[in-house]
Amino acid sequence: MGVVHGQEMVLNIGPQHPATHGVLRLQVKTDGEVISEITPYLGYLHRCFEKHCENVTYEQVIPFTDRCDYLASMTMNFGYVVAVEKLMDIKVNDRVQHIRVIMAELQRIASHLLATGVFGLDLGAFTPFLHMLRDRERIIDLFEMTCGARLLYNYMWVGGLSHDLPKGFVEATLNFLDYFEPKIDEFENLLGHNKIFVERTADIGIMPAEVAINFGVTGPNLRASGVNWDLRKDDPYSIYDKFDFNVPVGQGIKGTVGDSWDRFYVRLQEIRESVKIVRQALDQLPKDGDVHQSMPKKIRPPKGSIYSRTESPRGDLGYYIESDGSDTPSRLKMRSPAFTALGVLDEIAGGWLMSDVLAILGSLDIVLGEIDR
Amino acid sequence: MGLLENRFDDNIVVEKLDKLLSWARSTSPWFFQFGTACCAIEMMAAAASRHDLMRIGIIPRSSPRQADVMIVAGTVTMKMALRVKKLYEQMADPKYVVAMGSCATSGGPYWQHGYHVLKGVDLVIPVDVYVPGCPPRPEALIEGLLKLQEQILEGRPLTRKTG
Amino acid sequence: MSEDIQLLIDDVVAKALAGDMDPINNIEDRVTRSKAKAALVKAKRSQPKTEIKSNASENSDVKAKDTIEQVVIASLSKNFSNFLDGEQNGEWIQIKAENWFEIAKHLKENENLYFDSLQCNTGFDLEGGMLESRYNLHSMKHLHAIEIRIKVSIENPDIPSVESLWRVADWFERETYDMFGINFTGHRDLRRILLPEDWEGWPLRKNYEEQETYHGIVVPKVKEGWE
Repeated sequence: MGVVHGQEMVLNIGPQHPATHGVLRLQVKTDGEVISEITPYLGYLHRCFEKHCENVTYEQVIPFTDRCDYLASMTMNFGYVVAVEKLMDIKVNDRVQHIRVIMAELQRIASHLLATGVFGLDLGAFTPFLHMLRDRERIIDLFEMTCGARLLYNYMWVGGLSHDLPKGFVEATLNFLDYFEPKIDEFENLLGHNKIFVERTADIGIMPAEVAINFGVTGPNLRASGVNWDLRKDDPYSIYDKFDFNVPVGQGIKGTVGDSWDRFYVRLQEIRESVKIVRQALDQLPKDGDVHQSMPKKIRPPKGSIYSRTESPRGDLGYYIESDGSDTPSRLKMRSPAFTALGVLDEIAGGWLMSDVLAILGSLDIVLGEIDR
Repeated sequence: MGLLENRFDDNIVVEKLDKLLSWARSTSPWFFQFGTACCAIEMMAAAASRHDLMRIGIIPRSSPRQADVMIVAGTVTMKMALRVKKLYEQMADPKYVVAMGSCATSGGPYWQHGYHVLKGVDLVIPVDVYVPGCPPRPEALIEGLLKLQEQILEGRPLTRKTG
Repeated sequence: MSEDIQLLIDDVVAKALAGDMDPINNIEDRVTRSKAKAALVKAKRSQPKTEIKSNASENSDVKAKDTIEQVVIASLSKNFSNFLDGEQNGEWIQIKAENWFEIAKHLKENENLYFDSLQCNTGFDLEGGMLESRYNLHSMKHLHAIEIRIKVSIENPDIPSVESLWRVADWFERETYDMFGINFTGHRDLRRILLPEDWEGWPLRKNYEEQETYHGIVVPKVKEGWE
């Protein structure tokens, strides 16, 4: 028998494929089972975020930031209010800062739980998904207790918060953490050391560090490639410099540094670090301080522009705000981390098998709302 | 049912074929797992632990060919609208549509300046049940699906128009 | 206002600033109470400003060496001539479009500058027939960041593409093209990225008006086409 040369075939995945995490269309060129090229087509969820920002006031932008990354709304609010506060030179009190950090880190846990759970689901592991969603619901209960919403919170405002913490929040959160910490080991055993899962993800879709930097990949994806870069450590905003936590990086335990398994594992480790931060923040939480203390009556930043970034669960979340002195932004651009993470897909998935594409896509943890905005 | 009444044992129920059909349809409306935006997460939460949609016979399917109900969960954009119409046409009759959330109902927060957002999915496909909220809670979605079941139950597929 | 009331207000404001709100709330007369609260707001507003001022003066004492913008301009002047566009204000660097690719290459590869990551690229409609492309660069090695701005006219919006230097610029430039219609010359695949291929107009320009219909679907918010 001679060598069989297959014909190049074009396959469409999406935009309504259940494993594309939303409405994304991938045009895949394959030679037999081997991928030669992937062209992502975006914009099926382009909701004109930036046009809206130019037409509403600074306060009214916050609900729209919620809806961009609907899996991590708290950190989206956080990034925006940090940017506007920098632009207006507002200093908020310690209690507000602590509450913000607690919320952002709880949100990071919730987001990573969903990301890792859905990643398992993409590869056929249904049980971990149910376990992780069960614990995510508990975090959502905490958010619901605080601001009444389950998914889109509109909680952090410029110069403060919409509500103070409710009675019993600290105890409820501590109870949750006590319950949750042993579960992390369970998840690790359930999914991370599962033979099938390891076979499907280790050594698959390797992203070298220089590729990751050149393509602007940030967050857990970049750290999985072995680059120790976390804005919470390297360019601390808010009060992250007060806390003691580690930055987990990919070590290639099951395969090569920067493979899909590392990206999964870094997220799992980050959950542990976030638990640490929440515990410290709850411990140091100042008893008094008005959460509306430094809220300006009217938000009118001085003329000028700012580019400010924060660490969202998906990476560097940047807001570019241009102010013309009025109460609406004259230009607001969101630099979304998932947008750049998806851009690298073609580079790292070429040469792998068809079934690996979804594993690699799942490991990048994209949210279409934030990519298309 | 005068002729057939009281002719059989107690464990046999006599009803119209019409009602039997709509009863069978109402208790197993498999839905098309098709999320576009934020509401998809709440739809997932409704199907996963705690809320568990499957206990009322509603099971997610990945293919439009196997589904009876399309839950439009989230914003539909112009680029997506043509796809949504195509997917709806691919579903087998009888088919029902639930517009979940304010975006699918009317364009929601993107109504005013959203040049690329479809102002309500009813512009391209017929909708049976609207579930308000941004996003609706899983309980609200379940309520909407129960309303849909009632609606299906009232339908007379043989003697009248479906659904 | 009589002196007594003024003294009372000053007293309760001072107490409130120290954290005790009770004296204000205990004032019987409504007019006086509201005056006291207004005075408190005024006092609070003036407080943080003074703090910021003191911070700023501390910072300026520390900062004796050149800002990163000055360093970059000095480094570029050695290799390029006449690349700056108009007056520089120190917060960003305004350059001309012609040599942008070579300048970007220098910024990326020079050891002392080493801007290895392109953080953000955004367009801006300056109105009056001008568009602007803005680049936020950051160095992960030296931990410094700058902003570069390039102005082009709306009739001839050509800017050299830098997507072969920073691959992340590939999609950034496609998005800027999609939203503003800035043409990045030398880009290998300049297509619309978010909007459909057959969309009309550049949405983020200030004078943009939505098209009436798209494939028979009504686009503007008025639902007249179907009622």
